[in-house]
Amino acid sequence: MEAYRQEIIIGAVIIYMVFCVVTGLWAMRLTKNSSDFFIAGRGLGPIVVSLALFSSTLSGFGFVGGPGLVYSIGVSSFWMIVISSTGYALGFFLVAKRIRMIADVRNCISLPDVLAARYNSEAVRFLIAVTIVLGVMGYLATQILAMAVVMQAILSGTAMFADIGLVTCVVISSAVLIFYCVTGGIIASVYTDVVQGGIMMVAGVLILLTAMSVFDGGMQEATSIILADDGEAMMPFGAAGIMASLGWFFVFGLGLAGQPHLVTKMMMNRSIADNRTILPMSLFGYVMAALLWVSIGVIMRAAVIDGVIEPLALPDDAASLFLSIFTNPLLAGIVFAGLFAAIMSTSDAFLNIGTAAIIHDIPKAIRGRAIENELFWARVVTVILAIVAASFALYSHFQDATLVAILGAFGWATFAASIFPVLAIGLNWKGATAMGAVAAIVSALLINFIIQLAGIVLPYGILGGLIAFIVSLTLFIGVSLVTKKPELAADMEAVLDI
Amino acid sequence: MHSKLIYVIFATVLLMAGILIAICLAESVPNGAGLAHAQFNGMRVGGDGAARLEHIGGLAFAFQALLLLLIVCLSALGVAEERRSPQLWAYMGGTLLFSLFVWWQMYSGHQAFLETGVTSYFMGFPVATAWQVYGTWLGAIPLIILYSVGFRKFIFTDEDEMKYEALLEKIAKETEQ
Repeated sequence: MEAYRQEIIIGAVIIYMVFCVVTGLWAMRLTKNSSDFFIAGRGLGPIVVSLALFSSTLSGFGFVGGPGLVYSIGVSSFWMIVISSTGYALGFFLVAKRIRMIADVRNCISLPDVLAARYNSEAVRFLIAVTIVLGVMGYLATQILAMAVVMQAILSGTAMFADIGLVTCVVISSAVLIFYCVTGGIIASVYTDVVQGGIMMVAGVLILLTAMSVFDGGMQEATSIILADDGEAMMPFGAAGIMASLGWFFVFGLGLAGQPHLVTKMMMNRSIADNRTILPMSLFGYVMAALLWVSIGVIMRAAVIDGVIEPLALPDDAASLFLSIFTNPLLAGIVFAGLFAAIMSTSDAFLNIGTAAIIHDIPKAIRGRAIENELFWARVVTVILAIVAASFALYSHFQDATLVAILGAFGWATFAASIFPVLAIGLNWKGATAMGAVAAIVSALLINFIIQLAGIVLPYGILGGLIAFIVSLTLFIGVSLVTKKPELAADMEAVLDI
Repeated sequence: MHSKLIYVIFATVLLMAGILIAICLAESVPNGAGLAHAQFNGMRVGGDGAARLEHIGGLAFAFQALLLLLIVCLSALGVAEERRSPQLWAYMGGTLLFSLFVWWQMYSGHQAFLETGVTSYFMGFPVATAWQVYGTWLGAIPLIILYSVGFRKFIFTDEDEMKYEALLEKIAKETEQ
């Protein structure tokens, strides 16, 4: 079997990609209007929503960047994942019920739709839509690049594709993504997410078992090797220190309820009562898949320190090298398919919300009405958005990394800081005003952008995103308290009372 | 929704902002956010852990304690005001105490390691880190149980569902007219 390692891995990835294409064709028959395209007609069952929710949370960053972070900074990065249970809980307590209600009452198909209804403000709709478009470009570009880099690494290991270029890999991977997103919209996206989530869970558990067998003394031997080399790296705050760790706890924990690609999925379930089962199922899936992040990172750091393997050229090589050195080909094939699944499940979610912002929300905020034939334009814009993001990715890779880095600044932390107060608190506090929402969104965008562009380094590893989040929370509540309490529409009043 | 909960949340956020400012103004130490590993490219180390906490350890501890309070308050905000009963607050209080206990075990376990240089292990990790990995993950389980098991009592009661159905019917009728 070892002699066919590359072929087995490629076979697993091809099977996965063919599945995505077939799902796109199947879902096309179910997609009859823009509501189907963007929110699956609000008719998904709890298992589908649970798997779609957690698989969209754990992107390629979780499968590649996560183990790389543990290799690089030790336990510090654990804080991004151990907070997931609290993050999911907060998301459901604060958002799941009322976002679904407002979507029903006002026939909303996007997050900006919901917030425009809540605040009766087109300015809020416009700002949230612009935030989403900026964030989506950064996220998509990095995801497409990650997908292409992994594909190149796999294919170049075979004689036939030894010289395959990155551009070809970007074209192949983007083509599959575009195909199923354009044909089947969110229906294709969530049903591929179901399989993607399943693969990620299996991969997480199998990798943990493999990782525990690398050292005779299991995980404890690995952690004691790291501890002997540098005590801090294996202690709770890791190499990055206490403030960086607590910053990630804050931004990733509270911020989960501010991620547009995740909260939008809370609008898609068939029944509000399903939320009681969706929450534990999503969390269970996430924890299983996240085992890969922790176990690969710890084992690779310990293996390098102990001289078992050569030092890595880049921390992000941790996952792929672990798979090539320590796993059997079949498991490597499953995990590589899982890696594509993780990247694609996040990419398709971003493609969907980005398209909604461009063809539905921004025109509505500017013209006061949606464009004609939304479904057709949704498909057109999905293609354009993916091509632009792929171009950004290639330009960044070959010419100038700054562009994607700047767009990347509008990532998780910016979404968290600009959307969490407005959405999560705003749906549960009648006193929240449009003025408070605008202040929170603008301050979050500005602070993140300035810190990123100016290259400001804060003491003790404090994150710029943490500062932006605390300022936006303060401004949201403070400005709302001092501005005139809004007159809510009768239906919004009723929803906020339930 | 006339409770004072939003003021408690606001006060907590303001206190956290104040602590962040105090940390920014505190005396800095070299390599407060780690330094490059002397031997392995791409790997970073924490270095002198005691020095890194010398000026900000207490502030950071308070920051996290306030964050745990904020999480519980925000969760309570997600429960309709008329259902924020003493029973709910007792449960939320217990959840907060459990989270604070985990945080204390983690922090004090790290302090003990800094003083002695030795640690015992629990399920593969040094004890302080085990509190972080397992304790933090499990720390939110009471909230998840409250949401899932107490869904019909606190989150979306049968009465809520009837009100919601009535609202949808009313909107449908208005749309027809």
